[in-house]
Amino acid sequence: MKIKNYEDMNLQELDVMREISSIGTSHAATALSKLLQKEIRISIPTVSILGYNEALSRIGNAEEIVAATLVKMDKDVEGLMLFLFDMNFAGTVLKTLLGQEFTSFEEMDHLAYSALEEVGNIIICSYINAFSKLVDVDIALSVPSSTVNMLGGILTVPIAEYGHETDKLMYFNADFVMEGKKLSDWLLMLPDIKSLNAILGKLGV
Amino acid sequence: MEKELKVGIGDMKLTRGEGRIITYALGSCIGISFYDPAIKLGALLHIMLPERQSPTDSSLFKYADTGIQETLRKLKAFGMVKPRTIVKIAGGAKMFAIKGNASFGNIGERNAAKVKQILRAEGLRLVAEDTGGTYARTMLVDVATGKVTIKSFGKPEKYL
Repeated sequence: MKIKNYEDMNLQELDVMREISSIGTSHAATALSKLLQKEIRISIPTVSILGYNEALSRIGNAEEIVAATLVKMDKDVEGLMLFLFDMNFAGTVLKTLLGQEFTSFEEMDHLAYSALEEVGNIIICSYINAFSKLVDVDIALSVPSSTVNMLGGILTVPIAEYGHETDKLMYFNADFVMEGKKLSDWLLMLPDIKSLNAILGKLGV
Repeated sequence: MEKELKVGIGDMKLTRGEGRIITYALGSCIGISFYDPAIKLGALLHIMLPERQSPTDSSLFKYADTGIQETLRKLKAFGMVKPRTIVKIAGGAKMFAIKGNASFGNIGERNAAKVKQILRAEGLRLVAEDTGGTYARTMLVDVATGKVTIKSFGKPEKYL
C-alpha cells in the first residue's frame, strides 16, 4: 500500500520501523559507549508520529534551550536526521569527554559546542550505517550542522521542510542509561514520504 | 491576572482592550502582529510557509498568503481600520546552514520576503521588524499598548 502521510502507516509497518530504529539506536549507543569509555544501556525505543504542537510538548517546551545536530540524507533515502541534546545529556557527555562541568548552555565555549556536534554526528552516522545495511539502501549524508537554541525554533526546520507534504513529525526516542543516570535520546529521522514508501517496499511490508 | 493568549504554529489569536498575545520560539516561521491603536485591537499570526499550494488545504494560518488574508478578514469584522493599523514582524531565521547546500534552510528568508510583499500589496504599514539571523525568537504583543517584546537565547530583550 502506498503511504501518503506518516500517519497512514499500519501497526505492522510501525513495528518494522520500531525494530529498525531499535537496531540503529543500539549501534548509536555502542558508538557513544566506545567514545566515552562507559557502559551504556538502552531502553526499547518508541516510534511516535505526532502533530507539531504535540511532538513539541512531548519533547520539552518551546523555549527550552537544546543543542541540535542536523544532517541531510540523500540518494536512496531523502530527508533529515536531527539529534537533540537536552542539558542533562549534554552535561554528562561533556563531563566525560572534556572533564568540564557545565550547568547551562550559556557557559559553554566553542570547544564544548563542537564536541557536542561531533557526538551528535557520530550517533547519527552509526544509526544510519546500521539502518542502510539492514534495509539495503545507499544513503549519503551531508556535513553536520549544529546549533544551540530554542527547541521550538529547531523543530520548525523539519516541519517547514516538509510542510507542504505533512503536518506530522516522526521521531524515535529511547533512554540511554549511563552510570545509573537516565539520558533522553531524541533522534528524529524524517524521510520524505517517497523515501518512506521506498523503505517499506524494500522491506516487503 | 491579565489575560494571556498563546498562539501555536500555523495559528492566529486576536483580542481587544487588554491582555497579551504570545507565540514561542519562532524559527524560520514569522510572527506578524497587527494593531489598531484607536480601538486597542491586536492580533498575532504565526505562519510557517510562504504560499498555500493546494486549495483544499484548510490550515489557512499556516501560510503567509492565506494567513494574512484570513487575519485581516477577522480584524475587519472587529472594526479594524487599515490606515490606522500598524504591523510588526519577527522571525525568519536560518537555524541550520549546510555546507555545499546553500538553498537548504532558506525558508525563513523566503517567508520574510513574501510577508513583506503581501503587506505592501495590502497597503499595510510595516513599522518594525526583527528578522533573519540564526536564532529563534519569542514574540509577545501587549494589547493595551501595542508594544511588542522579542526574547531570544543569549540576547537582551528587544522592543519593537
